[in-house]
Amino acid sequence: MLGMTGDKGQGPPLDADNAAFIQGGVSVIVATRNSECVPDVVRGCGCRVSRDRRRITVLVEPGRADTLLGDIAANGMIAVVFSQPSTHRTIQLKGSDARIVKVTAADRTVAARHLRDWSEDLCRIGCTPEFANAVRGDVPRLAAIAFTPSAAFQQTPGPGAGKPLAT
Amino acid sequence: MPLTLHAIRPCFEGAVPAVIATCALDGTPNVSYISEVHYVDPQHVALSFQFFSKTRQNVLENPRATVVVIHPDTGAQHKLAVRYLRTEESGPLFECMKAKLAGIASHAGMTGVFRLRGSDVYRVESITEVYGTSLAALPVRSAGAAELRCCMARLSAAPDLASLLDALLDGLAAQFGITQAMVLMGDAAGEKLYTVASRGYPQSGVGAEIRPGEGVIGTAALARTPIRISHATSEFGYGRAMREDARSRGLTAVLEQEIALPGLPESQSQIAVPILSGAHLLGVLFAESAETSRFGYDEEDALAVLASHVGAVAALLEERDEAHEEAPATAQSASPEGAPLRIRRYAENDSIFAGEDYLIKGVAGAILWKLLRNFVDERRTEHTNRELRLDPSIRLPDLSENLEARLILLQRRLEERCPALGIEKTGRGRFRFNVRRPVQLAEIPR
Repeated sequence: MLGMTGDKGQGPPLDADNAAFIQGGVSVIVATRNSECVPDVVRGCGCRVSRDRRRITVLVEPGRADTLLGDIAANGMIAVVFSQPSTHRTIQLKGSDARIVKVTAADRTVAARHLRDWSEDLCRIGCTPEFANAVRGDVPRLAAIAFTPSAAFQQTPGPGAGKPLAT
Repeated sequence: MPLTLHAIRPCFEGAVPAVIATCALDGTPNVSYISEVHYVDPQHVALSFQFFSKTRQNVLENPRATVVVIHPDTGAQHKLAVRYLRTEESGPLFECMKAKLAGIASHAGMTGVFRLRGSDVYRVESITEVYGTSLAALPVRSAGAAELRCCMARLSAAPDLASLLDALLDGLAAQFGITQAMVLMGDAAGEKLYTVASRGYPQSGVGAEIRPGEGVIGTAALARTPIRISHATSEFGYGRAMREDARSRGLTAVLEQEIALPGLPESQSQIAVPILSGAHLLGVLFAESAETSRFGYDEEDALAVLASHVGAVAALLEERDEAHEEAPATAQSASPEGAPLRIRRYAENDSIFAGEDYLIKGVAGAILWKLLRNFVDERRTEHTNRELRLDPSIRLPDLSENLEARLILLQRRLEERCPALGIEKTGRGRFRFNVRRPVQLAEIPR
């Protein structure tokens, strides 16, 4: 189980199954907070997990995320929820060392693949690709936020929701 | 013009899940899906509280939160800065959200998992549209002022309660394309609602009863608030459970089930709106559709306005009828000819049977018996509402009992089940009881 105290990088890495899950066709929702503890939230455009599964990079469109990116730069606190629309399987990762990192060519590939996979999953529950595209919005640019998960929670609706994620 | 909550109400239908970000006092953010964000008024929304979650813990210690909702047609996203105010665990808002959540859960395959513990009310401090590439809005079915104006003009012109209810149902069909609908009236004791008018069903169901608290209709009656469901849900159905309950409650309850409540077998969307006269519940207007999400906030508004007008007009009509009741003509009728019709009355519950056919029971049953007795004993066919209201044998439960509604019920039930008998209005507060065959009366004592 990942530690819940924010001990950076000290806990075990995310397991392979969850690592694959969060890099698949899931909704990626990123939240931060400012110095007055007012939260902000933005829909992400994909996620990448480092080879050792200790470092997570989430992608956002900066035009829709200026406040959120400002919060990251100011305090590094982050919470990200990953949810598969067709199954409701949901997990949340939290970190306190988030920072804005350089966007790579690999990130652009991740964002394109994410849109395709996520759109496919939405179509499974009756949405149109046009609707999926509209919700996702244009992504003329990307910004990347990297963090080390210090806590992970199961959030699939039901009695187990909110419990720390077993790894 | 700044965005208003009103302008983005389709986002609050629960078709696309919303998200909420909160923050603990130690500065740790949290983000979570939320099944139901409900439009309360132009300044407030209510979120479904289903689980004791981190979100809930956070808003109790730090009330500032951010919610993102998605327009179900265009995909447009709106970010709401909100502040938690309070939780309501009962009452109209709670009941309304509970019913809606049952529909959302059914749609999401989460029946039994989603259960409303409370309605968390938040003040909305700002609304911003998230820059995106939303689709063009679909043309919306209008449920606005022009349609309401047409309907209300017809309601205002109704000469009596029966015409008023007919005008309401015909107006819904003509102006709003709502073709499956019914009106149930409540008894003064608040113990049951009985169907007096309907449109769009193979059987009218006039006389069918339900009790407050049952299904969307009973919940709307009990909570005095519109109840709306966008996807079929067993939780708010009124099928098997009611029938089983009836068997355990004995004969009267079984008779209650004798007349089936009309209903679409493939009903997906349902709406029930209370018809109030002041604080007094007159009845419930109900509509349904095989289409999912057929009734939105606009339709709810329109039906609420119409129900409110019906409540006011009904009260005026009743007052007017009482003030102007005319003396009945004293003419006696000729004896009808033909084979006699045997009519039985069971004293236990005032239930009346013509031959082997169950006709009616309760107050309407007592009225019918009184009319039959007057006919057999005195050859009298002309009657006034006042005379019935004062008659001890009818045992109207309360002076505020809507006698006119009982007469409509009886009149329509006779038309459908016993054309040998009939009620014909002859003026304000008076009517003629037509008997077209000889009758033989038999009383079955308790």
